[in-house]
Amino acid sequence: MKIKVIIACCLALLLYNKAVATTLKIAYDTDPVSLDPHEQLSESTLQFSHLVFDPLLRWNKNGQFEARLATKWERLDSHTMRFFLRKNVVFSTGNTFSSKDVAYTIERLKKSPDFRAMFDTIDKVTMVDEYTIDVHTTYTNPLLLNIMTYVFPIDKAFYQGKDQIIKYGETFASRNVSGTGPYILDNRELGSWMELTRNPNYWDKNSKGNADKIILTPIRTDSTRLAALLSGDVDFIFPVSPIDIERAKKVSGIQLVTLPSTRILLLHMNQNRRKEFQDVRVRKAINLAINQALIVDKILKGYATPAGQLSSDRFLGHINGLEPEYDVEKALELMKEAGYEKGFRISMMAPNNRYMSDEKVAQAISAMLSRIGITVELKTLPKAQYFKEYDNRSADMMMLGWQSDTMDSNNLFEFIIACPDTNTGMGAYNASEYCRPEIDADIRQANREMNPERRLRLLQQIEWKIYNDSAVVPLYWQSLTWAAKDGVNIKDIVNDQNYPHIGDLFIEE
Amino acid sequence: MLIFLLRRLLQACFVMIIISLISFSIQDKLGDPVQQMVAMTVSPEERNQLRNELGLNDGFLIQYWRFAKGAIQGDLGTSYYYKEPALDVILEKLPATLELAFCAILIVILIATPCGVMAAIKPKHILSRLLMVTSSIGLSVPIFIVAILMVYIFSIELNIAPSFGRGQTTEVLGLWESGLFNKNGLSHLLLPSLSLAIALMPIFVRLIRAEMMDVLQSEYIRFAWSKGLSARRIYFIHALKNTMLPVITVGGIQAGTLVAYTILTETIFQWPGMGFLFMDSVSRVDTPLVSAYLIVVGGIFVITNTFVDLIYGLFNPTVRLASHGL
Amino acid sequence: MKHPKKDLTHPIAGSRWNHIWSGVVGDKLAMMALIIFVFYCLVALLAPLVAPYDVSDPAFMDLLNSELPPSWISGNSQFLLGTDAQGRDLLSVILYGTRLSLTIGICAVLIQVTLGICIGLVAGYLGGRIDNFLMRCADIQLSFSNMMVAIVFLAIFQSLFGMARYQQLAMVILILVIGLTEWPLFARTIRASVLAEKQQEYVDAARVMGISSKRIMFRHILPNTLSPILVIFTVQIANAIVAEAALSFLGLGMPATEPSLGSLISEGFAYMFAGSWWICVIPSITLIILILAMNLLGDWLRDHLNPRAYKD
Repeated sequence: MKIKVIIACCLALLLYNKAVATTLKIAYDTDPVSLDPHEQLSESTLQFSHLVFDPLLRWNKNGQFEARLATKWERLDSHTMRFFLRKNVVFSTGNTFSSKDVAYTIERLKKSPDFRAMFDTIDKVTMVDEYTIDVHTTYTNPLLLNIMTYVFPIDKAFYQGKDQIIKYGETFASRNVSGTGPYILDNRELGSWMELTRNPNYWDKNSKGNADKIILTPIRTDSTRLAALLSGDVDFIFPVSPIDIERAKKVSGIQLVTLPSTRILLLHMNQNRRKEFQDVRVRKAINLAINQALIVDKILKGYATPAGQLSSDRFLGHINGLEPEYDVEKALELMKEAGYEKGFRISMMAPNNRYMSDEKVAQAISAMLSRIGITVELKTLPKAQYFKEYDNRSADMMMLGWQSDTMDSNNLFEFIIACPDTNTGMGAYNASEYCRPEIDADIRQANREMNPERRLRLLQQIEWKIYNDSAVVPLYWQSLTWAAKDGVNIKDIVNDQNYPHIGDLFIEE
Repeated sequence: MLIFLLRRLLQACFVMIIISLISFSIQDKLGDPVQQMVAMTVSPEERNQLRNELGLNDGFLIQYWRFAKGAIQGDLGTSYYYKEPALDVILEKLPATLELAFCAILIVILIATPCGVMAAIKPKHILSRLLMVTSSIGLSVPIFIVAILMVYIFSIELNIAPSFGRGQTTEVLGLWESGLFNKNGLSHLLLPSLSLAIALMPIFVRLIRAEMMDVLQSEYIRFAWSKGLSARRIYFIHALKNTMLPVITVGGIQAGTLVAYTILTETIFQWPGMGFLFMDSVSRVDTPLVSAYLIVVGGIFVITNTFVDLIYGLFNPTVRLASHGL
Repeated sequence: MKHPKKDLTHPIAGSRWNHIWSGVVGDKLAMMALIIFVFYCLVALLAPLVAPYDVSDPAFMDLLNSELPPSWISGNSQFLLGTDAQGRDLLSVILYGTRLSLTIGICAVLIQVTLGICIGLVAGYLGGRIDNFLMRCADIQLSFSNMMVAIVFLAIFQSLFGMARYQQLAMVILILVIGLTEWPLFARTIRASVLAEKQQEYVDAARVMGISSKRIMFRHILPNTLSPILVIFTVQIANAIVAEAALSFLGLGMPATEPSLGSLISEGFAYMFAGSWWICVIPSITLIILILAMNLLGDWLRDHLNPRAYKD
């Protein structure tokens, strides 16, 4: 009898433990500036959006679309796509989600300074019925679905009338939030912490997510963030610096997950500032003198993929087998042919707190270039000052990292390779001032080409041209690494865009 | 006395104006705040328009005038990042820094006083010598190395105390969020305050020792000896009391060092106080916040110093003579 | 002190140094500290000759050699103290870093001394309103602690010149900022000594003889105040080096391409957790030993030159 009582007590305790709220503490590098999902197009805003809102569709881990608030979609004609929306979804305010919210959200996105560029292609949205909408584009757009992953429907009844987007002021939307997402924001102190609780009415009953409460803390320094995980202060961190990965792997009770990402790091050689860079032989020599594999191996500890082109293998324009070359002898020969046997001096700038180990990579590159007689005067600046210098094209050689918003090669080409044109915004980040009108034409065509086969050829053709011209120096595609305590099943929810689907995170007891 | 007071106040105002000028002059020089606010894909015209709206394209004097007018009314500008009045943001972080500094000073007083006294009354004792050597070493280890070691040993290797942040806080009397009243908050306080204390300790041990030695040689201590008072009474009541006044004044001067050290400690431990906020806003180019910080810290300095001066002048009339009589 | 000794009127520099020298020889700790300091200075001066590698050689930085542990661990005698994350020989980098740190420290203190002596002499000798004004400035300056002022001014300088220009001027600016922020310590000491000396008969005598006040200040009063200056000088160099290190640690000091000891430590900090401890620890130890030697030397000088205190 007694034993039975004890067992019963134990069971009760166990059950009680199960019932006790699971809290997940997360440390990440930066927290979103605003609660308004349309104020800033940044990684942290999108991470936040995936917590509190739901997209119409999202990328899954394998690079396929996964239906979320849209259950299915079909193309009506070359300019129109129809989306069928999920029923029985409510916002955290209790308002019911329907097509009016989606139409409203897209209209608002078209007004947002940051998202406008992407949503310009959408002409208008028409509501067919309460749960069906048609999206009309201004021209045929092969990337419409990619763009629609940025539509996180917001609560029209809640925001309407007080939905202005102001970059530097306090707005209703920057302080208040109503979404359909797996979590509801409780409280937050900007720059310090953010507290969320599980949405009890979350529509996705299949979601494995079981954290009742999430506390997110921004920790800027890589080593401090890792230290917080090792000392047990937090359960889940991202990103992890490549330097620390080996050491963290040895710690028991900690798991790490690494995925290659599509963010390309590259160097621009400014042809307007330096006549030397106008010579393709010099550009080729620089490409040959830089040992991408060694940089990845030694500085990033292997947590990146050396790049010989801009498009990562997930993108349509990727050319298999186009690997980075390294050959100092050949580089020296090319320099000699070009008449720069004695070398020359150039200035170079790189950020020192924007990309993983950016400053160290820049230093290594300047050392590598000195082998072929190019003396580099390197300056590394904090990102806030760096991009000001970048806009002014202040140095002969500048470093840039680019993540394609649309998960497509053409976004890279439009901003980095196209001839700089202030009217269209093309080539806005082309610090090479490299200009080939025929590439521009290809880019424009690829923006409208619906046939995947032809589009692939078009994009690869651009990639080849860039390669043959050595227009820029591709360096590597950064890898992303997350770390968590054992039992926090992060490997199912992370993806190569660094928007972990924390809503589906399952924590073992 | 009144003239003395007025003169000090005038000086304080003068210093504040200089500080406000300096802190304002960096307003638009720390990089481009607009770049931080918009995405990579926003066009230059739109950026320029935003700059116009923010008044960043006006002349220097116009901008300063606008700034000074606001500053007098307690408006030090609005933080670009927090989108709140800069002063509010800073005052929100003030308790964290104060608590950190307070705990560090407490540890210093509790440990440095007995150590300093010990070293002064028994200078030849082996313990005193050891103490002096330790304090020499302590003086030679920069605070950031102390802090790094603390994190490495106690947080990473031994896993005793948390390495970052402030932990749980509770509201005290509705006035401020305090970490002093719960276990979690206290454990977070441990490493930062200890690092800060270790960095300040040698200065104070030496100071107390030197002052104590001076006092011990003075006439009235000799008189006290001859009167046959007990050693303990002489050391801890008479001598220590007279040691403390100069120690406190010199300690007051160290307030600046303390602020600089809190910046370093808070940066390493991610302590959400004013120093961390400052370094953060420098890297975020949140210029209104940076200049507001300078003004607030400058103000605190000027007020404490004027205050210390006044108290000192009140209690010790010779000071006035010494510094103004010549 | 009412009856100045004969030698005070005509201090002979030689006798003072003799006095200090004989004391150093007698004290083992002081001797050690002095040897260490001289060793650091020599090494810093001769860094280009002593360093096993030429830091300006393009082949110096080779990523292939990155993060090699010190030779007693790796058994690789090519790099005695191992290499840093960029594959630079740590010993060579530290030698050049020490050179930079010492240069910055000594130059900064030289500025402090020059400023301090001039201001202190003027204030003490002339007195009156000028004295009043200068000492108030000193008070204000002192109350703001040099680190604090340096942090603020470096942030301002960085913005004024832009980070790009700043990196070229970093060393000069660091010297200026650290040099300009701690003069009050010297000024106050000098002023106090001047006030004491001014009462002495020899100054009166000199004045009666019609010697110009400038001459009296520099030729007669100054030599008598050298002892306390020497003490502060030593300690201040240590402080200046620490200040530089701390500023570099915060990212406000020397750029990574031209590392001082502080920026080496700052850079190595990231590798501490990764297991490559030597990148951070060896420069730290180098810095700590240097500062310790300077502090011990300063302490000893204070005790030795000021027999009144601490000799009970």
